[in-house]
Amino acid sequence: MRKRIIIRITLMVVLILIGISLYTIGKEHKVFIDNKDIAVGEIVYSAEATYDVRVDNQEIGLLEKGDRNVVKVAGASHKIVIEEIKDKVLTGEKYEKRFKLKTNESATVNIPAMINNKNEWINKTN
Amino acid sequence: MKNQNLTKTLNPGVQFLINYAVPIIFTILVAIAIPLSGLSGEYLARELMTRLARNSFIILALLIPVMAGMGMNFSIVLGAMAGEIGLIFVTDWQIVGMPGILLAMLISTPLAILLGYFGGMVLNRAKGREMVTGFMLAFFMNGIYQLVVLYGMGNIIPISNSNILLPREYGIRNAIDLIGIRQVLDKLISLKVSGLVIPVATLLVITMLCVFIIWFKKTKLGQEIRSVGQDNDVARISGINVGKTRILSIIISTVLACYGQIIFLQNIGTMNTYNSHEQVGVFAIAALLVGGASVSKATIPNVFVGVILFHTMFIVSPRAGKVLIGQAQLGEYFRVFVSYGVIAFSLALYAWRKRVEKENERRKAMTLKRVLLQSNNTTGGYKL
Repeated sequence: MRKRIIIRITLMVVLILIGISLYTIGKEHKVFIDNKDIAVGEIVYSAEATYDVRVDNQEIGLLEKGDRNVVKVAGASHKIVIEEIKDKVLTGEKYEKRFKLKTNESATVNIPAMINNKNEWINKTN
Repeated sequence: MKNQNLTKTLNPGVQFLINYAVPIIFTILVAIAIPLSGLSGEYLARELMTRLARNSFIILALLIPVMAGMGMNFSIVLGAMAGEIGLIFVTDWQIVGMPGILLAMLISTPLAILLGYFGGMVLNRAKGREMVTGFMLAFFMNGIYQLVVLYGMGNIIPISNSNILLPREYGIRNAIDLIGIRQVLDKLISLKVSGLVIPVATLLVITMLCVFIIWFKKTKLGQEIRSVGQDNDVARISGINVGKTRILSIIISTVLACYGQIIFLQNIGTMNTYNSHEQVGVFAIAALLVGGASVSKATIPNVFVGVILFHTMFIVSPRAGKVLIGQAQLGEYFRVFVSYGVIAFSLALYAWRKRVEKENERRKAMTLKRVLLQSNNTTGGYKL
Protein backbone atom coordinates (compact mmCIF):
# COMPACT_ATOMS: atom_id res chain seq x y z
CA MET A 1 0.00 0.00 0.00
CA ARG A 2 2.77 2.42 1.01
CA LYS A 3 4.79 1.45 -2.05
CA ARG A 4 1.79 2.16 -4.27
CA ILE A 5 1.32 5.63 -2.73
CA ILE A 6 5.02 6.43 -3.25
CA ILE A 7 4.82 5.32 -6.90
CA ARG A 8 1.71 7.44 -7.48
CA ILE A 9 3.23 10.53 -5.87
CA THR A 10 6.44 10.05 -7.87
CA LEU A 11 4.42 9.70 -11.07
CA MET A 12 2.50 12.89 -10.31
CA VAL A 13 5.71 14.79 -9.56
CA VAL A 14 7.25 13.53 -12.82
CA LEU A 15 4.15 14.59 -14.78
CA ILE A 16 4.20 18.05 -13.18
CA LEU A 17 7.90 18.39 -14.03
CA ILE A 18 7.21 17.33 -17.62
CA GLY A 19 4.42 19.92 -17.73
CA ILE A 20 6.72 22.67 -16.48
CA SER A 21 9.43 21.76 -18.98
CA LEU A 22 6.90 21.67 -21.84
CA TYR A 23 5.67 25.09 -20.73
CA THR A 24 9.22 26.48 -20.77
CA ILE A 25 10.19 24.85 -24.08
CA GLY A 26 6.98 25.83 -25.86
CA LYS A 27 6.36 29.31 -24.44
CA GLU A 28 6.14 31.87 -27.20
CA HIS A 29 7.96 35.20 -26.93
CA LYS A 30 7.87 38.32 -29.04
CA VAL A 31 11.21 39.67 -30.17
CA PHE A 32 11.23 43.14 -31.74
CA ILE A 33 14.19 44.01 -33.91
CA ASP A 34 15.06 47.65 -34.39
CA ASN A 35 17.42 49.03 -36.99
CA LYS A 36 17.18 52.51 -35.48
CA ASP A 37 19.53 55.03 -33.89
CA ILE A 38 20.15 54.46 -30.19
CA ALA A 39 21.68 56.71 -27.56
CA VAL A 40 23.86 54.98 -25.00
CA GLY A 41 24.87 57.57 -22.43
CA GLU A 42 25.91 60.52 -24.51
CA ILE A 43 26.97 58.55 -27.55
CA VAL A 44 24.49 57.95 -30.35
CA TYR A 45 24.92 54.80 -32.45
CA SER A 46 23.32 55.33 -35.83
CA ALA A 47 21.70 52.84 -38.10
CA GLU A 48 23.83 52.92 -41.24
CA ALA A 49 23.10 49.84 -43.28
CA THR A 50 20.49 47.31 -44.25
CA TYR A 51 20.64 43.96 -42.53
CA ASP A 52 19.40 40.49 -43.27
CA VAL A 53 18.06 39.14 -39.96
CA ARG A 54 17.52 35.58 -38.76
CA VAL A 55 16.30 34.54 -35.32
CA ASP A 56 16.59 30.84 -34.43
CA ASN A 57 17.03 30.09 -38.14
CA GLN A 58 13.74 31.87 -38.93
CA GLU A 59 14.24 34.29 -41.78
CA ILE A 60 12.92 37.70 -40.76
CA GLY A 61 13.92 39.45 -43.96
CA LEU A 62 15.70 42.66 -44.75
CA LEU A 63 15.67 45.49 -42.22
CA GLU A 64 16.50 48.88 -43.69
CA LYS A 65 17.59 51.96 -41.77
CA GLY A 66 14.84 53.05 -39.38
CA ASP A 67 12.87 49.80 -39.75
CA ARG A 68 11.40 47.63 -37.03
CA ASN A 69 10.18 44.06 -37.29
CA VAL A 70 8.79 41.50 -34.90
CA VAL A 71 9.25 37.76 -34.68
CA LYS A 72 7.65 35.17 -32.46
CA VAL A 73 9.99 32.55 -31.02
CA ALA A 74 9.44 29.61 -28.71
CA GLY A 75 11.56 28.49 -25.79
CA ALA A 76 14.08 30.08 -23.46
CA SER A 77 17.35 30.26 -25.45
CA HIS A 78 17.63 32.08 -28.75
CA LYS A 79 20.16 33.14 -31.34
CA ILE A 80 20.03 36.20 -33.57
CA VAL A 81 22.20 36.45 -36.66
CA ILE A 82 22.45 39.61 -38.77
CA GLU A 83 24.32 40.11 -42.01
CA GLU A 84 25.12 43.48 -43.48
CA ILE A 85 23.83 44.29 -46.97
CA LYS A 86 25.10 47.12 -49.18
CA ASP A 87 23.85 47.74 -52.69
CA LYS A 88 21.70 44.59 -52.38
CA VAL A 89 24.82 42.44 -51.84
CA LEU A 90 25.99 40.73 -48.65
CA THR A 91 29.20 42.44 -47.48
CA GLY A 92 30.30 39.45 -45.41
CA GLU A 93 29.95 41.35 -42.13
CA LYS A 94 28.10 38.94 -39.87
CA TYR A 95 27.10 39.43 -36.22
CA GLU A 96 25.70 36.79 -33.91
CA LYS A 97 24.33 37.02 -30.37
CA ARG A 98 22.65 34.58 -28.01
CA PHE A 99 20.10 35.52 -25.41
CA LYS A 100 17.74 33.94 -22.91
CA LEU A 101 14.19 34.93 -22.06
CA LYS A 102 12.18 34.10 -18.96
CA THR A 103 8.63 32.75 -19.37
CA ASN A 104 6.80 36.07 -19.55
CA GLU A 105 9.49 38.17 -21.13
CA SER A 106 9.62 39.77 -24.54
CA ALA A 107 12.67 41.52 -25.97
CA THR A 108 13.70 44.39 -28.18
CA VAL A 109 16.98 44.00 -30.02
CA ASN A 110 18.72 47.12 -31.33
CA ILE A 111 21.01 46.36 -34.27
CA PRO A 112 23.35 49.40 -34.03
CA ALA A 113 23.96 48.65 -30.33
CA MET A 114 24.42 44.96 -31.12
CA ILE A 115 27.09 45.48 -33.77
CA ASN A 116 28.92 47.87 -31.43
CA ASN A 117 28.84 45.30 -28.64
CA LYS A 118 26.98 47.51 -26.20
CA ASN A 119 25.11 46.05 -23.23
CA GLU A 120 22.04 47.99 -24.28
CA TRP A 121 21.68 45.86 -27.43
CA ILE A 122 18.79 43.96 -25.81
CA ASN A 123 15.97 45.30 -23.71
CA LYS A 124 13.84 42.67 -21.97
CA THR A 125 10.34 43.53 -20.78
CA ASN A 126 7.54 41.59 -19.09
CA MET B 1 -22.04 -17.75 -31.36
CA LYS B 2 -24.90 -15.40 -32.10
CA ASN B 3 -23.91 -15.20 -35.74
CA GLN B 4 -23.70 -18.99 -35.97
CA ASN B 5 -27.36 -19.22 -35.00
CA LEU B 6 -28.25 -16.82 -37.74
CA THR B 7 -26.11 -18.76 -40.23
CA LYS B 8 -28.10 -21.91 -39.60
CA THR B 9 -31.28 -20.27 -40.85
CA LEU B 10 -29.86 -18.23 -43.74
CA ASN B 11 -27.58 -19.17 -46.60
CA PRO B 12 -24.02 -17.70 -46.52
CA GLY B 13 -24.70 -15.17 -49.29
CA VAL B 14 -27.70 -13.66 -47.52
CA GLN B 15 -25.79 -13.83 -44.24
CA PHE B 16 -22.91 -11.85 -45.79
CA LEU B 17 -25.32 -9.27 -47.23
CA ILE B 18 -27.00 -8.81 -43.86
CA ASN B 19 -23.74 -8.57 -41.93
CA TYR B 20 -22.17 -6.09 -44.32
CA ALA B 21 -25.27 -4.27 -45.53
CA VAL B 22 -24.02 -0.82 -44.49
CA PRO B 23 -20.53 -1.03 -46.10
CA ILE B 24 -22.04 -2.57 -49.24
CA ILE B 25 -24.61 0.24 -49.57
CA PHE B 26 -21.90 2.82 -48.98
CA THR B 27 -19.55 1.27 -51.51
CA ILE B 28 -22.32 1.43 -54.12
CA LEU B 29 -23.15 5.05 -53.20
CA VAL B 30 -19.48 6.03 -53.36
CA ALA B 31 -19.06 4.25 -56.71
CA ILE B 32 -21.98 6.27 -58.11
CA ALA B 33 -21.01 9.59 -56.50
CA ILE B 34 -17.31 9.68 -57.47
CA PRO B 35 -17.83 9.91 -61.26
CA LEU B 36 -20.76 12.30 -60.73
CA SER B 37 -18.60 14.65 -58.66
CA GLY B 38 -15.97 14.87 -61.37
CA LEU B 39 -13.19 15.18 -58.79
CA SER B 40 -9.74 14.03 -59.84
CA GLY B 41 -8.16 10.96 -58.29
CA GLU B 42 -5.26 13.03 -57.02
CA TYR B 43 -7.55 15.48 -55.20
CA LEU B 44 -9.58 12.63 -53.76
CA ALA B 45 -6.43 10.84 -52.51
CA ARG B 46 -5.10 14.05 -50.94
CA GLU B 47 -8.36 14.78 -49.13
CA LEU B 48 -8.72 11.20 -48.02
CA MET B 49 -5.20 11.10 -46.60
CA THR B 50 -5.90 14.27 -44.60
CA ARG B 51 -9.14 12.86 -43.23
CA LEU B 52 -7.61 9.47 -42.49
CA ALA B 53 -4.94 11.12 -40.34
CA ARG B 54 -7.42 13.54 -38.80
CA ASN B 55 -10.23 11.17 -37.82
CA SER B 56 -8.85 7.66 -37.27
CA PHE B 57 -7.58 8.20 -33.73
CA ILE B 58 -10.93 9.31 -32.31
CA ILE B 59 -12.75 6.42 -34.02
CA LEU B 60 -10.26 3.94 -32.56
CA ALA B 61 -11.29 5.27 -29.14
CA LEU B 62 -14.68 3.62 -29.66
CA LEU B 63 -13.35 0.06 -29.83
CA ILE B 64 -12.78 -0.69 -26.14
CA PRO B 65 -16.33 0.06 -24.92
CA VAL B 66 -17.66 -2.21 -27.72
CA MET B 67 -15.35 -4.91 -26.36
CA ALA B 68 -16.88 -4.36 -22.93
CA GLY B 69 -20.38 -4.87 -24.36
CA MET B 70 -21.33 -1.24 -23.83
CA GLY B 71 -22.09 -0.54 -27.48
CA MET B 72 -21.06 2.65 -29.24
CA ASN B 73 -19.74 5.11 -26.72
CA PHE B 74 -21.59 8.35 -27.48
CA SER B 75 -19.96 9.84 -24.40
CA ILE B 76 -16.62 10.23 -26.20
CA VAL B 77 -17.88 13.80 -26.52
CA LEU B 78 -16.80 14.19 -22.88
CA GLY B 79 -13.24 13.34 -23.85
CA ALA B 80 -13.42 15.78 -26.75
CA MET B 81 -14.48 18.52 -24.32
CA ALA B 82 -11.54 17.72 -22.06
CA GLY B 83 -9.19 17.99 -25.04
CA GLU B 84 -10.65 21.36 -25.99
CA ILE B 85 -10.19 22.70 -22.47
CA GLY B 86 -6.53 21.66 -22.68
CA LEU B 87 -6.24 23.52 -25.99
CA ILE B 88 -7.87 26.65 -24.52
CA PHE B 89 -5.24 26.75 -21.75
CA VAL B 90 -2.38 26.14 -24.14
CA THR B 91 -3.62 28.95 -26.39
CA ASP B 92 -4.03 31.24 -23.40
CA TRP B 93 -0.49 30.54 -22.20
CA GLN B 94 0.84 30.84 -25.77
CA ILE B 95 2.58 27.49 -25.81
CA VAL B 96 3.33 26.57 -29.39
CA GLY B 97 4.62 23.64 -31.44
CA MET B 98 4.82 20.05 -30.25
CA PRO B 99 5.25 21.14 -26.61
CA GLY B 100 1.86 22.87 -26.98
CA ILE B 101 0.15 19.69 -28.18
CA LEU B 102 1.82 17.56 -25.52
CA LEU B 103 0.99 20.06 -22.77
CA ALA B 104 -2.65 20.20 -23.93
CA MET B 105 -2.74 16.40 -23.69
CA LEU B 106 -1.12 16.47 -20.26
CA ILE B 107 -3.56 19.08 -18.91
CA SER B 108 -6.64 17.39 -20.33
CA THR B 109 -5.73 13.83 -19.25
CA PRO B 110 -6.82 14.17 -15.58
CA LEU B 111 -9.97 15.94 -16.72
CA ALA B 112 -10.70 13.16 -19.22
CA ILE B 113 -10.10 10.51 -16.54
CA LEU B 114 -12.51 12.31 -14.21
CA LEU B 115 -15.16 12.70 -16.90
CA GLY B 116 -14.65 9.08 -17.99
CA TYR B 117 -15.11 7.91 -14.40
CA PHE B 118 -18.28 9.96 -14.08
CA GLY B 119 -19.52 8.68 -17.46
CA GLY B 120 -18.74 5.08 -16.50
CA MET B 121 -20.62 5.45 -13.21
CA VAL B 122 -23.68 6.80 -15.00
CA LEU B 123 -23.55 4.11 -17.70
CA ASN B 124 -23.28 1.40 -15.03
CA ARG B 125 -26.60 2.57 -13.68
CA ALA B 126 -28.15 2.26 -17.11
CA LYS B 127 -27.05 -1.25 -18.14
CA GLY B 128 -28.54 -2.30 -21.45
CA ARG B 129 -29.27 1.30 -22.43
CA GLU B 130 -25.71 2.62 -22.52
CA MET B 131 -25.93 4.22 -25.96
CA VAL B 132 -28.94 6.42 -25.38
CA THR B 133 -27.64 7.25 -21.89
CA GLY B 134 -24.25 8.18 -23.33
CA PHE B 135 -25.97 10.36 -25.91
CA MET B 136 -27.94 12.23 -23.26
CA LEU B 137 -24.90 12.41 -20.98
CA ALA B 138 -23.04 14.20 -23.76
CA PHE B 139 -25.84 16.78 -23.98
CA PHE B 140 -25.80 17.25 -20.22
CA MET B 141 -22.04 17.67 -20.05
CA ASN B 142 -22.18 20.06 -22.99
CA GLY B 143 -24.31 22.35 -20.82
CA ILE B 144 -21.76 22.22 -18.01
CA TYR B 145 -18.91 22.77 -20.48
CA GLN B 146 -20.65 25.86 -21.86
CA LEU B 147 -21.24 27.18 -18.36
CA VAL B 148 -17.57 26.75 -17.47
CA VAL B 149 -16.20 28.14 -20.73
CA LEU B 150 -18.73 30.95 -21.19
CA TYR B 151 -18.91 32.19 -17.60
CA GLY B 152 -16.19 30.49 -15.58
CA MET B 153 -13.21 31.24 -17.80
CA GLY B 154 -11.98 34.73 -17.18
CA ASN B 155 -14.17 35.00 -14.08
CA ILE B 156 -13.14 32.11 -11.83
CA ILE B 157 -10.49 30.47 -14.01
CA PRO B 158 -7.83 33.06 -14.89
CA ILE B 159 -7.45 33.69 -18.62
CA SER B 160 -5.04 36.45 -19.57
CA ASN B 161 -4.93 36.29 -23.37
CA SER B 162 -7.32 38.96 -24.64
CA ASN B 163 -7.28 37.36 -28.10
CA ILE B 164 -9.37 34.46 -26.86
CA LEU B 165 -11.55 36.31 -24.37
CA LEU B 166 -14.86 37.90 -25.28
CA PRO B 167 -14.88 41.72 -25.24
CA ARG B 168 -16.73 41.66 -21.88
CA GLU B 169 -13.49 40.15 -20.44
CA TYR B 170 -14.90 36.80 -19.39
CA GLY B 171 -15.95 33.83 -21.47
CA ILE B 172 -14.10 32.41 -24.45
CA ARG B 173 -14.70 33.58 -28.00
CA ASN B 174 -16.69 31.46 -30.44
CA ALA B 175 -13.64 30.56 -32.50
CA ILE B 176 -10.06 30.17 -31.35
CA ASP B 177 -7.20 30.36 -33.78
CA LEU B 178 -4.83 27.48 -33.04
CA ILE B 179 -2.12 28.99 -35.22
CA GLY B 180 0.64 28.02 -32.77
CA ILE B 181 -0.08 24.31 -33.05
CA ARG B 182 -1.68 24.16 -36.49
CA GLN B 183 -0.65 20.91 -38.24
CA VAL B 184 2.41 20.66 -36.03
CA LEU B 185 2.04 16.90 -35.64
CA ASP B 186 1.15 16.42 -39.31
CA LYS B 187 4.22 18.33 -40.44
CA LEU B 188 6.58 16.85 -37.82
CA ILE B 189 7.49 14.08 -40.27
CA SER B 190 5.88 14.31 -43.66
CA LEU B 191 6.56 12.60 -46.96
CA LYS B 192 5.63 13.89 -50.38
CA VAL B 193 4.87 11.15 -52.87
CA SER B 194 3.88 12.46 -56.33
CA GLY B 195 1.95 15.43 -54.96
CA LEU B 196 0.43 13.50 -52.08
CA VAL B 197 1.61 14.69 -48.66
CA ILE B 198 1.67 11.83 -46.16
CA PRO B 199 1.62 12.94 -42.50
CA VAL B 200 3.93 10.17 -41.32
CA ALA B 201 4.07 11.28 -37.66
CA THR B 202 0.27 11.32 -37.30
CA LEU B 203 -0.02 7.95 -39.02
CA LEU B 204 2.67 6.60 -36.69
CA VAL B 205 0.67 7.76 -33.67
CA ILE B 206 -2.43 6.04 -35.08
CA THR B 207 -0.41 2.86 -35.72
CA MET B 208 0.87 2.98 -32.16
CA LEU B 209 -2.71 3.17 -30.90
CA CYS B 210 -3.65 0.17 -33.07
CA VAL B 211 -0.70 -1.78 -31.61
CA PHE B 212 -1.78 -0.68 -28.13
CA ILE B 213 -5.32 -1.96 -28.71
CA ILE B 214 -4.05 -5.31 -30.01
CA TRP B 215 -1.70 -5.62 -27.02
CA PHE B 216 -4.36 -4.43 -24.60
CA LYS B 217 -6.75 -7.19 -25.69
CA LYS B 218 -4.18 -9.73 -24.54
CA THR B 219 -3.59 -8.20 -21.10
CA LYS B 220 -5.45 -9.31 -17.97
CA LEU B 221 -7.62 -6.21 -18.04
CA GLY B 222 -8.27 -6.68 -21.76
CA GLN B 223 -9.39 -10.27 -21.18
CA GLU B 224 -11.60 -9.14 -18.33
CA ILE B 225 -13.19 -6.48 -20.51
CA ARG B 226 -13.88 -9.10 -23.20
CA SER B 227 -15.40 -11.48 -20.65
CA VAL B 228 -17.64 -8.69 -19.35
CA GLY B 229 -18.63 -7.93 -22.93
CA GLN B 230 -19.60 -11.54 -23.60
CA ASP B 231 -21.64 -12.14 -20.46
CA ASN B 232 -21.89 -9.97 -17.37
CA ASP B 233 -23.15 -12.75 -15.11
CA VAL B 234 -20.51 -15.28 -16.15
CA ALA B 235 -17.82 -12.62 -15.68
CA ARG B 236 -19.14 -11.80 -12.20
CA ILE B 237 -19.17 -15.48 -11.21
CA SER B 238 -15.56 -15.75 -12.45
CA GLY B 239 -14.60 -13.12 -9.89
CA ILE B 240 -14.37 -10.10 -12.21
CA ASN B 241 -15.55 -6.78 -10.80
CA VAL B 242 -17.92 -6.02 -13.67
CA GLY B 243 -18.77 -2.46 -12.64
CA LYS B 244 -15.13 -1.45 -12.22
CA THR B 245 -14.13 -3.07 -15.52
CA ARG B 246 -16.87 -1.22 -17.39
CA ILE B 247 -15.83 2.09 -15.79
CA LEU B 248 -12.20 1.44 -16.78
CA SER B 249 -13.18 0.79 -20.38
CA ILE B 250 -15.06 4.10 -20.51
CA ILE B 251 -12.13 5.95 -18.89
CA ILE B 252 -9.71 4.56 -21.51
CA SER B 253 -12.13 5.47 -24.30
CA THR B 254 -12.61 9.01 -22.94
CA VAL B 255 -8.88 9.64 -22.58
CA LEU B 256 -8.25 8.36 -26.12
CA ALA B 257 -11.09 10.54 -27.43
CA CYS B 258 -9.50 13.52 -25.70
CA TYR B 259 -6.20 12.90 -27.52
CA GLY B 260 -8.13 12.21 -30.73
CA GLN B 261 -9.86 15.58 -30.51
CA ILE B 262 -6.51 17.35 -29.99
CA ILE B 263 -5.09 15.57 -33.07
CA PHE B 264 -8.24 16.49 -35.01
CA LEU B 265 -8.13 20.17 -34.05
CA GLN B 266 -4.39 20.59 -34.63
CA ASN B 267 -5.07 19.46 -38.18
CA ILE B 268 -7.99 21.88 -38.65
CA GLY B 269 -6.13 24.78 -37.01
CA THR B 270 -9.26 26.47 -35.65
CA MET B 271 -11.45 25.52 -32.75
CA ASN B 272 -15.16 26.28 -32.58
CA THR B 273 -15.25 26.59 -28.81
CA TYR B 274 -18.92 25.74 -28.37
CA ASN B 275 -19.60 23.18 -31.06
CA SER B 276 -16.40 21.47 -32.22
CA HIS B 277 -17.19 18.54 -29.95
CA GLU B 278 -20.93 18.31 -30.56
CA GLN B 279 -20.89 16.08 -33.63
CA VAL B 280 -17.75 14.14 -32.71
CA GLY B 281 -19.63 11.14 -31.32
CA VAL B 282 -22.14 10.91 -34.15
CA PHE B 283 -19.57 11.21 -36.95
CA ALA B 284 -17.12 8.79 -35.33
CA ILE B 285 -19.81 6.21 -34.66
CA ALA B 286 -21.30 6.60 -38.13
CA ALA B 287 -17.85 6.07 -39.68
CA LEU B 288 -17.26 2.94 -37.60
CA LEU B 289 -20.66 1.52 -38.53
CA VAL B 290 -20.06 2.29 -42.20
CA GLY B 291 -16.87 0.26 -41.87
CA GLY B 292 -18.92 -2.84 -41.09
CA ALA B 293 -18.87 -2.72 -37.29
CA SER B 294 -21.92 -3.48 -35.23
CA VAL B 295 -22.99 -2.48 -31.74
CA SER B 296 -21.54 -5.73 -30.40
CA LYS B 297 -18.45 -6.15 -32.58
CA ALA B 298 -15.94 -3.63 -33.88
CA THR B 299 -12.41 -4.19 -35.13
CA ILE B 300 -9.46 -2.09 -36.26
CA PRO B 301 -10.08 -2.81 -40.00
CA ASN B 302 -13.68 -1.55 -39.50
CA VAL B 303 -12.19 1.79 -38.43
CA PHE B 304 -10.10 2.28 -41.56
CA VAL B 305 -12.69 0.93 -44.01
CA GLY B 306 -15.22 3.22 -42.31
CA VAL B 307 -13.02 6.32 -42.50
CA ILE B 308 -12.30 5.70 -46.18
CA LEU B 309 -15.93 5.05 -47.21
CA PHE B 310 -17.57 7.63 -44.96
CA HIS B 311 -15.15 10.42 -45.75
CA THR B 312 -15.04 9.67 -49.46
CA MET B 313 -18.79 10.21 -49.32
CA PHE B 314 -18.20 13.46 -47.42
CA ILE B 315 -15.74 14.69 -50.01
CA VAL B 316 -17.75 13.85 -53.09
CA SER B 317 -21.29 14.52 -51.88
CA PRO B 318 -21.29 18.36 -52.20
CA ARG B 319 -20.06 18.17 -55.80
CA ALA B 320 -22.33 15.24 -56.62
CA GLY B 321 -25.22 17.17 -55.07
CA LYS B 322 -24.39 20.16 -57.23
CA VAL B 323 -24.36 18.05 -60.38
CA LEU B 324 -27.60 16.28 -59.53
CA ILE B 325 -29.69 19.09 -58.04
CA GLY B 326 -27.63 22.16 -58.89
CA GLN B 327 -26.97 23.01 -55.24
CA ALA B 328 -23.77 22.21 -53.33
CA GLN B 329 -25.66 22.93 -50.10
CA LEU B 330 -27.48 19.64 -50.59
CA GLY B 331 -24.22 17.78 -50.00
CA GLU B 332 -23.86 19.47 -46.62
CA TYR B 333 -27.33 18.34 -45.58
CA PHE B 334 -26.53 14.95 -46.99
CA ARG B 335 -23.61 14.57 -44.57
CA VAL B 336 -25.78 14.95 -41.49
CA PHE B 337 -28.60 12.93 -43.01
CA VAL B 338 -26.23 10.10 -43.88
CA SER B 339 -24.55 10.11 -40.44
CA TYR B 340 -27.79 9.81 -38.50
CA GLY B 341 -29.28 7.52 -41.12
CA VAL B 342 -26.39 5.07 -40.92
CA ILE B 343 -26.61 4.94 -37.14
CA ALA B 344 -30.38 4.41 -37.23
CA PHE B 345 -30.07 1.74 -39.94
CA SER B 346 -27.30 -0.11 -38.07
CA LEU B 347 -29.21 -0.04 -34.81
CA ALA B 348 -32.36 -1.27 -36.51
CA LEU B 349 -30.37 -4.04 -38.21
CA TYR B 350 -28.82 -4.99 -34.87
CA ALA B 351 -32.25 -5.10 -33.18
CA TRP B 352 -33.62 -7.21 -36.03
CA ARG B 353 -30.71 -9.65 -35.76
CA LYS B 354 -31.24 -9.95 -32.01
CA ARG B 355 -34.92 -10.68 -32.61
CA VAL B 356 -34.08 -13.35 -35.20
CA GLU B 357 -31.58 -14.92 -32.84
CA LYS B 358 -34.11 -14.97 -30.00
CA GLU B 359 -36.67 -16.54 -32.32
CA ASN B 360 -34.10 -19.19 -33.35
CA GLU B 361 -33.32 -19.93 -29.73
CA ARG B 362 -37.02 -20.26 -28.96
CA ARG B 363 -37.59 -22.60 -31.93
CA LYS B 364 -34.62 -24.72 -30.92
CA ALA B 365 -35.90 -25.00 -27.36
CA MET B 366 -39.39 -25.93 -28.58
CA THR B 367 -38.01 -28.61 -30.91
CA LEU B 368 -35.92 -30.07 -28.11
CA LYS B 369 -38.91 -30.07 -25.78
CA ARG B 370 -41.06 -31.82 -28.44
CA VAL B 371 -38.40 -34.49 -29.02
CA LEU B 372 -38.06 -35.12 -25.33
CA LEU B 373 -41.83 -35.37 -24.87
CA GLN B 374 -42.11 -37.80 -27.80
CA SER B 375 -39.36 -40.03 -26.45
CA ASN B 376 -41.04 -39.88 -23.05
CA ASN B 377 -44.33 -41.07 -24.56
CA THR B 378 -42.78 -43.96 -26.58
CA THR B 379 -40.39 -45.32 -23.92
CA GLY B 380 -42.41 -44.40 -20.87
CA GLY B 381 -39.61 -42.21 -19.62
CA TYR B 382 -36.26 -40.79 -20.72
CA LYS B 383 -32.79 -40.81 -19.42
CA LEU B 384 -30.31 -38.00 -19.75
